Amino acid sequence: MKKRHLTWSGLYLAVVFVILYAPIVYLVVFSFSAGTTMENYHGFSLRHYADLMSDTRMITIVFNTIIIALLASLVATIIGTLGALAIKDTRGKVKNSLLSLNNVLMVSPDVIIGASFLIFFTMLGVRLGFISVLLSHIAFCIPIVVLMVLPKINELSPTLVDAAYDLGATRWQAFSQVVLPAITPGIWAGYFMALTYSLDDFAVTFFVTGNGFSTLSVEIYSRARQGINLEINALSALMFLVSLLLVLGYYIISKHGGRHHRVVAVKEGDVQ
Amino acid sequence: MANKIMEFRHVEKRFDDNVVLRDIDFEIEAGKFYTLLGPSGSGKTTILRLIAGFDQPTSGEIFFDGKKINDVPANQRQVNTVFQDYALFPHMNVAENVAFGLQIRGVKKAEIKQRVAEALKLVQLNGYGEREITAMSGGQRQRVAIARAIVNEPKVLLLDEALSALDHKLRVQMQTELRQLQRKLGITFIFVTHDQEEALAMSDQIMIINDGTIQQSGTPVDIYDEPLNHFVADFIGESNIVPGVMKEDYLVSINGQDFTCVDAGMKPNERVEVVIRPEDLDITTVDKGQLVGTVDTQLFRGVDYQITVHDIRDHTWKINSIHKTTVGAKVGISFDPEDIHVMRYNETEEDFDARLDSYEEDE
Repeated sequence: MKKRHLTWSGLYLAVVFVILYAPIVYLVVFSFSAGTTMENYHGFSLRHYADLMSDTRMITIVFNTIIIALLASLVATIIGTLGALAIKDTRGKVKNSLLSLNNVLMVSPDVIIGASFLIFFTMLGVRLGFISVLLSHIAFCIPIVVLMVLPKINELSPTLVDAAYDLGATRWQAFSQVVLPAITPGIWAGYFMALTYSLDDFAVTFFVTGNGFSTLSVEIYSRARQGINLEINALSALMFLVSLLLVLGYYIISKHGGRHHRVVAVKEGDVQ
Repeated sequence: MANKIMEFRHVEKRFDDNVVLRDIDFEIEAGKFYTLLGPSGSGKTTILRLIAGFDQPTSGEIFFDGKKINDVPANQRQVNTVFQDYALFPHMNVAENVAFGLQIRGVKKAEIKQRVAEALKLVQLNGYGEREITAMSGGQRQRVAIARAIVNEPKVLLLDEALSALDHKLRVQMQTELRQLQRKLGITFIFVTHDQEEALAMSDQIMIINDGTIQQSGTPVDIYDEPLNHFVADFIGESNIVPGVMKEDYLVSINGQDFTCVDAGMKPNERVEVVIRPEDLDITTVDKGQLVGTVDTQLFRGVDYQITVHDIRDHTWKINSIHKTTVGAKVGISFDPEDIHVMRYNETEEDFDARLDSYEEDE
């Protein structure tokens, strides 16, 4: 049998992961408690899940959140992919400035972005609600997609497109039959990242939700302020499960992306 | 030329202020194997890209089959290319890669299947159709790239440094196969390389490119035996290049010593360069040698020995000999008048051909 040594680095890693996951485990455990507070565990029960299922307002909000996330990440993926393709064709200073502008959006605090959207929408007279949330989600998802797709595009050999022309393809055929399939794994990665960003966004959404429209994170925040309700725990447990599934889905797609297996650049000596 | 398929007339190519090609003029005959040979950055790949249609010339005209094709886009030219990095589509398998061109042109499925199978057979890859590109070795990918190009039955096949990514043994094997394939198909091949051995081995015609101009063109034997200038002599094969003076017709002086040669048509006492190939120099005894010197080094290379000898005028000669000698020994070097090739400074290809004709007729 393999000997297992307790090393300092192993210990360190274990401590880090315990600290990271303990609150989530704690929360999930109490979602199954029969009591109404988190002070003591009162035995196993599913009553908070039952409460959650009968809470129509909460169910509506869950659906709102999912629809916003799906739509926003879809639109952002299309715009971001086209953007990445355009950035690829630029050179030198223009390229660097475009990339920097893209990255600034990634690093700037969500609060600033949210506040600026609020001012922007108010100025334009857009009613706060579904549309404003959707637009702002699309906006902050685009840079993510660009960052995920661009490396895939850079990986493509420039001769690939030349080869397509050489074999008689038009510009559109070269794009749709050669470039697009080759960068598909990057596009999927971008879509999933955008999806998770949109699903759990709080700060930006908080600013741009109006009366009568809310997403999960905003709703949970406002409920939590009124006192701990274990229904929130149940909901959080479910959301955690969904995130796990998403990560798993992303892993499977990136592992088996494309048609048969992952797409790799043709390199010398992969198999000799 | 009866069946010329392609012609460049005074073609120039610039990228911004950078002149890549200047006044390129040549004709390509159908069904032959041409090689564009030159060091990297010489402009040879640019010529290929102009033929394929990926780039347009800054000035000058390109004709294909008698028609001017300067403005014909790449996807409408009857030319296919084998790229240096093969440029195989990574998301398609072997058969799909080969079928791509036919599919684009809307050829019927049954015909595509048959032609793909034929093409794969030609490059000795029958049965590999369902394989993924990533599961193919370097040499196999090379064959897929060739199959993908020839399946479209182009009139001209362009090969851009197509063999340079392969190891030496495979490269030599592919040279033979490419040459056979070209004979079998009867397609014009235009092959770009920086490897002079490859060029000599495969071509009907070689064009030596340097610095954006064609230095010399001709058959491999012509170019090897009668290089036009220092660059060509140095680039093709190994050579001893020494300055000399042409005293009169058929008499050249090297380092103050006179030798008879077979070159003529130059001004008396003109300064020239003399080329003697290392394999034309023979080691002999001191009294039989036209030059006398001491052996400096000797390297065994399998087929022959590479020997360097410095003569009494302190000039170093490279000699390739199948006979062994001893380092430090005093030896004689002998050669025949035909082994001396005289090159004039700044002579153009036309002048060179005219001069050769003028005195060869006299004989």
